[in-house]
Amino acid sequence: MQALTIDPCTLPPGCEALRAEVRAFLADTLRDYPATLRVRNWSGNSPEFSAKLGARGWIGMTWPQRYGGQGRSPLERYVVLEELLSAGAPVGAHWVAERQSALLLMRLSPELLAPRIVPGIALGETYFCIGMSEPDSGSDLASIRTRAVRTDAGWVINGRKVWTSGAHRTHYMIALVRTGTQGEQRQAGLSQLLVDMTTPGLTIRPILSQLGEHDFNEVTFDDVLVPHAHLIGVEGDGWAQVAGELAFERSGPERYLSSTQLLLEMLDTADPHENRHAVALGRIAASYASLRQMSMGVSGMLARGENPAVAAALVKDQGALVEQAMPDIAHDLFGGLAAPDSSLAQVLSYTARAVPSFSLRGGTREILRGIIAKGLGLR
Amino acid sequence: MSDSMIAESTERLFAGEVTRAVLDRFEAGQFPHALWQQVTDQGLTLALAGEAAGGIGATWADVYPILRGVGHWQVPLPLAETLIAAQLLSLAGLEVPDGPIALIEEDTVGQFSISHTSVNPSAAGLQLSGTAQRVAWASACRWALISLLPTAVQATGRIALLDLQHSASVQITAHHNPANEPCDTVLLRNAPAVGHAANPFPALRRPLRTLGAIASSAMMVGAMEWLLAQSVQYASDRVQFGKPIGKNQAIQQQLALLAGEVAAARVAAIVACADAPGGGPTPGVSDCAATVFSAAVAKIRCGEAATRSAAIAHQVHGAIGFTFDHRLNFATRRLWAWREAYGADGWWAGKLGEAAIQSRSAGFWPSMTSRRFSGLDLQPNT
Repeated sequence: MQALTIDPCTLPPGCEALRAEVRAFLADTLRDYPATLRVRNWSGNSPEFSAKLGARGWIGMTWPQRYGGQGRSPLERYVVLEELLSAGAPVGAHWVAERQSALLLMRLSPELLAPRIVPGIALGETYFCIGMSEPDSGSDLASIRTRAVRTDAGWVINGRKVWTSGAHRTHYMIALVRTGTQGEQRQAGLSQLLVDMTTPGLTIRPILSQLGEHDFNEVTFDDVLVPHAHLIGVEGDGWAQVAGELAFERSGPERYLSSTQLLLEMLDTADPHENRHAVALGRIAASYASLRQMSMGVSGMLARGENPAVAAALVKDQGALVEQAMPDIAHDLFGGLAAPDSSLAQVLSYTARAVPSFSLRGGTREILRGIIAKGLGLR
Repeated sequence: MSDSMIAESTERLFAGEVTRAVLDRFEAGQFPHALWQQVTDQGLTLALAGEAAGGIGATWADVYPILRGVGHWQVPLPLAETLIAAQLLSLAGLEVPDGPIALIEEDTVGQFSISHTSVNPSAAGLQLSGTAQRVAWASACRWALISLLPTAVQATGRIALLDLQHSASVQITAHHNPANEPCDTVLLRNAPAVGHAANPFPALRRPLRTLGAIASSAMMVGAMEWLLAQSVQYASDRVQFGKPIGKNQAIQQQLALLAGEVAAARVAAIVACADAPGGGPTPGVSDCAATVFSAAVAKIRCGEAATRSAAIAHQVHGAIGFTFDHRLNFATRRLWAWREAYGADGWWAGKLGEAAIQSRSAGFWPSMTSRRFSGLDLQPNT
């Protein structure tokens, strides 16, 4: 059960100075950014903000300098991330590119693709989406049908991806496609390809969410031609590569901070001498403190080069419970009481509709608990 | 003694000596004197006390394994209480007496009220009167350490040592918590203090409740880690419908949730121990800045986790876990007892929440990262 143990870690010296710098930057840059936009948390999208962040060197700060990074520690990056997210900063434009895509490119195409593309990510100018889910493939990624065939000219892709966040405003997709047959191993025969979103034959159609927003897309591939050089890693190893990528997707502070704006609205509305308010918000504060330590502990594991896959699943599972409880608690304390044009009412309305996705994206609750159960030796 | 040596010797002692027979005799009302003697002989009770008092001046981080061990092996002793009392007495320059020491904290609402015959800190003759309820282990202890809330005259609060066997002035009525540990009512009528001094942690308005909350959180983590291991083992061994019940996703999902609760509780308890005062080159000089915050977080999160994990462990164990013969209930009954001790999670949540609301949106996040809320000073309830 060693993999289940998350030890708290102490932030190295210099982190608090960095934190103060980020806070001052955010106080200035987001002075007029309203609660009704902060509520979107890391789904908030602003290329302008991403570029400002990149100019400060706060995107990809752990990466080597040759890729545009600063060579700083994962714990310093953690401090920047938690400051951004707790303030509800609009980091969505570069989020996927920084958290996942750049890491994959530097690890699996360090000489070819990474030097060409990753520096643009660090500048906050190059954005990515992830082509995994399909109409008949959600948690069961091994069942995907989008297929790429190797020709002399390159890989030719045909098929369809869905729930692709941000496809309409990103420059590249990393697509998981079938390049071989399944055989004995259901996960065999999958590969990852880098796709330029402007390639002919690629069609993007919006899928509106219950928030009434356009974030998801359906992406159709109709004989989309991708250069041979855009194969990421090894042909047929896509499954293992994706599993490593998903561990990155689950490890950060965004896995418990998504509903923070609603917590802040409650703190501004609550009566400190009303015990019902104090107890409910005190429990949330305790969960935040504990999750913060768990989440920093995972960053500490990354800093020591340990595998955080199970620990990250634990944090995401616990974090989503807190994020999803937030609108229920707000409803319990203030439901029907706040004026309709109040910040609290608007933020509650948004958050209540947003939270069901928090235990779906990045691995469903049931899949995560399966990973934890495996860590416990039960499967 | 390094912290890993403390962990090893604790494990060896508890794993070998806290037998079912010891626990059964304890349930029948027999205090395990031999086990207490072994714990004392190993120096565990004085670990937090300074060298002048015969201790080793360990930090709370050093003694986390002892407290966790009390939970993991369900040790039926007032070890946490005595550790805390010895730390405070030794830092205050008072003699640490032999034998187990109970903790009583003045609380102006219902629990305890004290009339001072003298308000001069240097004068002898402090006498205490009042009723204290739910005093853990009082009937098993020769001594009690009492902390008195700050007053206009004594701004830091005071601590006083009482002889519980001073029969003319002390009356103990026995009660028990769900784990059958003594949890008594102590009536004092002009009970004379054996010694008293200023609270050595002036930044802690309620030193006993705060440190007691940290200790019981670490104990709960030990009990929950044991529960998790036992539940996983049972689910792997117990065969129904031709396969181990742990092969069912319904069981796996519950155990995964239990693992999450334990992980969340564990980091909270470890951080609270790290933020607790004492030890090091200048014991007692710590500013205690993060102590109350981290104690609150630990007691809330461990209390919640205790509630949830006990329920899951019982469900996974089926009917067998409901029998007295099965060891499971020795851990779950302690969780139900300890979640109440030194302020239940609901009490601490009220305090933490009040401070969080007072911090409003602008102060909340900075308070989380500095681990201190300016309003979290544990004022008496009014």
